[in-house]
Amino acid sequence: MKNSISTPTDRLDGPEKASGKAVYTDDIRPEGLLFARTLRADRPRARITAIRLPEIPDNYFIVDRNDVPGRNRIKMLEDDWPFFAGEVINHVGEPILLVVGPDREKVADILNSIEVEYEDLPPVLSIDDAIAAKSPIFGDDNCFAAYSFRKGDPDTAFSTAKTVIEGEFKTGYHEQAYMEPQGMIGSYKNGKLTVTGSMQCPFYVKNAMMQLTGFKEDAVQIIQATTGGAFGGKEEYPSLLAGHVAVAAIKTGKPVKLVLERGEDLAVTTKRHPSVSRYRSAIDENGRVIAMEADITLDGGAYAGLSAVVLQRALFAAIGVYNIPNVTVRGRVMATNHVPSGAFRGFGAPQAFFAVEMHMEQIASELGMNPLTFKEIHLVRQGDTTSTGGVLRDEIKIHEMLAKVLKMSNYRKKEGIFASKKGRFRSGIGLAIYLHGCGFTGKGEEIIKGTATIRKLAEDRAEILISNVEMGQGAQTTLRKIVARILELPIQNIEYANPDTDRVPDSGPTVASRTVIIVGHLLESAAKELKKRWNESETLSVSKSYRHPSYIQWDQDKLQGDAYPAYSWGIVAVEVEVDTLTYETAVKGVWTVHDVGIAIDEEIIRGQIEGGILQGLGYASLEVMDTADGAYRQHSFTDYIIPTSVDAPVIESELIDNPYEYGPFGAKCAGELPIAGAAPAYAAAVSHALGIEIHEIPVKPEILIKRAVK
Amino acid sequence: MVKSYRPRTLEEALKIRSETRCIPYAGGTDLMVRYRRGAGLAAGFDQPVLFIGQLAELTQIYEKNGELTIGACVPYREIIHQRHTPEILRQACELIGAPAVQNLGTPGGNICNASPAGDTLPPLSVLDANLTLQSLSGERNVSILSFFTGPGKTILRDDELLTAIHFRLPHFTVEGYRKVGTRKANALSKVSFAAFMLKEKEMLADIRIALGAVAPTVVRSRELENRLIGQPLTDLAKLLPEILESYGKLILPITDQRSDANYRKTIALRLIENFVLKEES
Repeated sequence: MKNSISTPTDRLDGPEKASGKAVYTDDIRPEGLLFARTLRADRPRARITAIRLPEIPDNYFIVDRNDVPGRNRIKMLEDDWPFFAGEVINHVGEPILLVVGPDREKVADILNSIEVEYEDLPPVLSIDDAIAAKSPIFGDDNCFAAYSFRKGDPDTAFSTAKTVIEGEFKTGYHEQAYMEPQGMIGSYKNGKLTVTGSMQCPFYVKNAMMQLTGFKEDAVQIIQATTGGAFGGKEEYPSLLAGHVAVAAIKTGKPVKLVLERGEDLAVTTKRHPSVSRYRSAIDENGRVIAMEADITLDGGAYAGLSAVVLQRALFAAIGVYNIPNVTVRGRVMATNHVPSGAFRGFGAPQAFFAVEMHMEQIASELGMNPLTFKEIHLVRQGDTTSTGGVLRDEIKIHEMLAKVLKMSNYRKKEGIFASKKGRFRSGIGLAIYLHGCGFTGKGEEIIKGTATIRKLAEDRAEILISNVEMGQGAQTTLRKIVARILELPIQNIEYANPDTDRVPDSGPTVASRTVIIVGHLLESAAKELKKRWNESETLSVSKSYRHPSYIQWDQDKLQGDAYPAYSWGIVAVEVEVDTLTYETAVKGVWTVHDVGIAIDEEIIRGQIEGGILQGLGYASLEVMDTADGAYRQHSFTDYIIPTSVDAPVIESELIDNPYEYGPFGAKCAGELPIAGAAPAYAAAVSHALGIEIHEIPVKPEILIKRAVK
Repeated sequence: MVKSYRPRTLEEALKIRSETRCIPYAGGTDLMVRYRRGAGLAAGFDQPVLFIGQLAELTQIYEKNGELTIGACVPYREIIHQRHTPEILRQACELIGAPAVQNLGTPGGNICNASPAGDTLPPLSVLDANLTLQSLSGERNVSILSFFTGPGKTILRDDELLTAIHFRLPHFTVEGYRKVGTRKANALSKVSFAAFMLKEKEMLADIRIALGAVAPTVVRSRELENRLIGQPLTDLAKLLPEILESYGKLILPITDQRSDANYRKTIALRLIENFVLKEES
């Protein structure tokens, strides 16, 4: 029997978005609005020796670091990232100053006539450059963060191994490609700063604005505007843009809007970290991996940003879904003079899953074993320990899921037929198994201690007050559905406006696939209490704050214990056909099964799964982003190629119920999970089709033809 | 603000063209991208714009006595739907941009833009298309192959307009078209290929091969084609390596943000070989 909460509901934000009525940041035009554009560095590393401005007409303004009332640093893990460049610029596109004024043409003219003189400094343009640290840009070793941890006794295991197999795996940049470019509007009236814009994390922006301005908490208000996609790209970067419009609004006393052009957005905002991973495995005489060593290096770009936490998630995913008794995991994020890398759906895990899944494929192939059988014998089971020594307490259904995927895809039969296929068109099938740790990594949820409130508005109406945002992922529908179900009210009677920090408590950022499992659970508890107390008063509010389940133990210094409170699981099989005339690859089919606990809405989950898989297939195949002299070579969606509907395969997806005690209606996490497996499954399928090992994505025809044709 | 003209007749357009240096604008699908300056800003045209996409004289497509005439400003969508359109040209038009681009974009623009990757150029080249160039002082007809002088460069004079494209409808036994793009739709070409063969009595009676995006202008060599014409089909495999080596000298691709020179050249030669020997593309 299907749990009825999962039965699809019409998306509540659908009609206004589909009809064009939704008001995005660029649609907001307050009285007296000024437009801002950004003067950016055109080189990777240099000292600014002079800036020559033209004559600035009345009502036009130059805004730079000298106008910052508080601290010119974005509040993040390391406060190293300036809102406006200081004397030294560290990446192409780094903002130096803003030109602000009422007429966009004039603003552009002024911008184009500013001259900047630089004294070039030796740039760090690759991970290797960074490691060499000849002229470091961060500390004395260019390392933003480094971690390592062990499980068991890997040294002994390696010394007794029958075989040791090593491999290096690389992943490239990955652009979020949200439909709506980033944008913000700032205004400053009667000593109060208000910033409205496209964002995932209103309170991150608020904290950043307080540090920037030195203003008190009640003098800073952040409002989320309807957001046209984010995928992690609007986690940390909006704080920078918010800072720009805030300083400009304070200086000019007028509302100021800054919306990035698409090319500008591609050129200067954060992307997924490129990675280089070295793996080494010790194999015993029975063909079992007795020890695995993973060493992951990320290119963090010019400023630390969120890179340290991205690295943590990569490292906690480094051993994949396998029970390996002895493990060493190491990793570091290096500073380079590239645009800062940042949050993107999966947050480090897709890089690690690509590496570990391809390493498992590689070992199987070198041992002459079937890759799937080889993976299968190493799969974790309930009660096993994770690489950080945490316990997998909840039921794990991957064996059941695997049986389902194999049946849906007719995997074993195709595996055999495809291997013997000759001729121009070669087929291959590959499969990846993955998990996602739900919510923040480590102690994150305890530190944030999110609070969610539900307020009774009338006898038949209530309002959700949280700081989490709808960004296309379905939060509007999903969260209102949870509350409506418990209060036994029609879903339309549950209000949930775009968050305004003056009205909502801090329920935490809209990241880490935490919105349903963590915030949804708080709403579920609040709704249950409100339901009981419904008749107490006309206007009653109930708030709930997060508490870690007592059994979860985590030591952040040693990186030991339960890195996450719960895990969602997925398996994806991908079938490809390679035209060996041109080495173009077409995806012929995708079959996938996920365990997200209980789906709050099957249709929305299906959307997340199909979107995540397609985004992952793009990452694996088409989405090439590389740099020359520190700048991305792809400047537009003509050059940065994401899959179109014609490139998209039919994705057959199924869910398996596995309710989680601390999730609303048993729900776990789903947003990031489905992107993790698509790339390794695709690469494994191409590898199967052509009989070559694949160690790098994107899998470009340009590379395949070199590898396959001698 | 840029000055613009919207003539009602071709004659008016040619008059403006003769008096003013201006940019002819048909569908604008290339021009609006090239001159884009950003949201809220007028496109940065550096010369007045002459709108010609509305001119009746330039938007006719018709077949007459075995010849197809395509007005320079006929949108791709109409070419796709015209029943006489040769299959290789239809396929090329169907793979240009997305439906919105196909509704606005025109072969006149594609030709005059003279991009090495222009998708109609290889099929029109193997169709031996001729171009009608008109000015107030008269009209000249030139072969499409003599029209291009380099990337973005053509022999079109400042006072001329490309008004029509015409070619004899082909009678070949084998035809081939292939666009190797950055993805399956709405993509730019890494390499494109169009070709015809006529096989008669175990002989190669005719062959035409054109390649796009692998040299400063579309590649077509009658000289190399002639070396294959008249040869017994059984000899083609033996002759081809030398021919391909000669094609290799004409194929001078670049490495850019979309692909690399090695891939473009390898694929171009493979497409020729595969077409000649296996009739596949």
